[in-house]
Amino acid sequence: MNKVKGSSWHILLIIICLVLLLPVVFMVSNSFKTLQDSYHSMLQIIPLHPTFSNYSTLGKQVDLLRLIWNTFFMATLVTLGKIVTGLLAAYAFKYFTFKGKKWLYFIFVSTIFVPFTVVMIPNYLVISKANLLNSALGVALPQLCDATGIMLFLKAMDKIPSSLIEAVHIDGIPSYKILKDIVVPILRPSIISIGAIFFINSWNEYVWPTLILKDKSSFTLPLALQNYISSEGGTNFPLAMALSTIMIIVPLLIYLIFQRYILNSISSSGLK
Amino acid sequence: MNSRSSKKNKFLTFAYLAPTAIILLVFMIIPIIYTLYLSFFDWNLIAPTKDFVGLENYISIFTDPVNQKVLLNTVFYIVLLLVLNFLIPYFISIVVKFFIGKMQSSYKIIFFIPSLFSLVVGAMLFSWIMNPVSGPIAFFMRQLGVSLPNWTNSGAMAIVVLCLMTNWKVFGYNFVLLLTGLGSVPQNIIDATKMDSIPKWRMIWDIVLPLNKSIAFYVLILTIVQGLQYVFTPISVITQGGPYYGSSNVLYHTYLNAFVLYKTGNASALAVITFLIFLVLLYLEIKFVEGRADRYE
Repeated sequence: MNKVKGSSWHILLIIICLVLLLPVVFMVSNSFKTLQDSYHSMLQIIPLHPTFSNYSTLGKQVDLLRLIWNTFFMATLVTLGKIVTGLLAAYAFKYFTFKGKKWLYFIFVSTIFVPFTVVMIPNYLVISKANLLNSALGVALPQLCDATGIMLFLKAMDKIPSSLIEAVHIDGIPSYKILKDIVVPILRPSIISIGAIFFINSWNEYVWPTLILKDKSSFTLPLALQNYISSEGGTNFPLAMALSTIMIIVPLLIYLIFQRYILNSISSSGLK
Repeated sequence: MNSRSSKKNKFLTFAYLAPTAIILLVFMIIPIIYTLYLSFFDWNLIAPTKDFVGLENYISIFTDPVNQKVLLNTVFYIVLLLVLNFLIPYFISIVVKFFIGKMQSSYKIIFFIPSLFSLVVGAMLFSWIMNPVSGPIAFFMRQLGVSLPNWTNSGAMAIVVLCLMTNWKVFGYNFVLLLTGLGSVPQNIIDATKMDSIPKWRMIWDIVLPLNKSIAFYVLILTIVQGLQYVFTPISVITQGGPYYGSSNVLYHTYLNAFVLYKTGNASALAVITFLIFLVLLYLEIKFVEGRADRYE
């Protein structure tokens, strides 16, 4: 009886897997179809007349290498910035005692929930006054405003025995050396997985870059993809799917390599 | 410690916190105050002068029918997001935790995959799948003799489809968070109910759900705050808030006022109202998610 019940739950879960994954399968398969085939045999998973023409058309219409480089550069800036600022702040919260610590931590962490529209106008004005429109730095700087890193690094630091840090501290080793030579090596798996999460999120970021990047040569992949979609119909779906397929390669590779670490870090973000 | 080293410590604390503090000050704290300031002015983002108008921007939010429609839509969005992105993943995480034995981690790995995609890709894929003329769903429904209504013509239907686009992305992420929470319920409590042969659903309802309240509430708040921001991308890519503001919400309307209509004052007032909603949610979070705020007492 219980066995039957268990397997009927599996059917439900497998249906969910299909619903979640079929769009991805269709995306990849349609990117190798001609426009005609994508219309007439849209549910055919293996294309009838497989073709690379969408990819080559795409290569003629946009500067793919430049798009990938812009996206990569911006995501790297954001990721490194968040890791460095997050690690430093987490170290201070964990190992230093100072007045108002509780309040400062509370303010830092609360900012995670502030919707972007609340700060969007002043941030836009600051970035445009600083002459950073159309630049990766202009996209990256306001995005560093994210205390998730502090929260996650603090949780990771819980795993380091505090007696170890105290012992080296008493030996008179300066704290930047403790951070660099002891904390960072121990936290390596956490840093990699948290960095991977930051990188993927920033790679996919759309809203803030659309405000800052107006010049086509500064576009990132999501902005370029947006140009291929319009609500009025007439969208060339196979082309859009080819660009989407190119766009997912990097996040998917990162996920395949660090999957276990990434899921662990996501899990720990919900625990106190 | 002697006074020299404590002075040094003070300096170090400052040096370590400074990068984060400066960024938060420049791109978060000061902007919040400046948005509040702008909400009392009539401005177009470019003109050298701003006209002080007092509370006029706020009055217009609550009297203008378009703004009212947008606020109402926001409520509809929140309800839908709670069902799609919170209740359903919660139910599925309970099923995976307590009703199946094997393959828990395989489901986790697969469910998470859509989270890797940009919402722009999600929006594009679902506008293809749900295309009322040439999409797969329309194709299936035609076989059954019904036609898929053109959802872009109806605000309510558009909102449902836009929420489904974010659901595809967020489902696995929230599932992982909630499953972790369920995993932290002590096993001995669960074993004890097994020995007393208490039915599973009772055990979940009476013991697991109350014990898991804190993380569930965290995900609930996250679903609202993040969900309204996530849904911004499909709105912007697919409907631009249409038809006639039917699928707009308070965040998209803020953006529209600020960067399309250049009504900076209106946009700022809407942003301040969004911020107030956020403060209420934050208060609820502190109240219900015990121990989170006073971690560093």
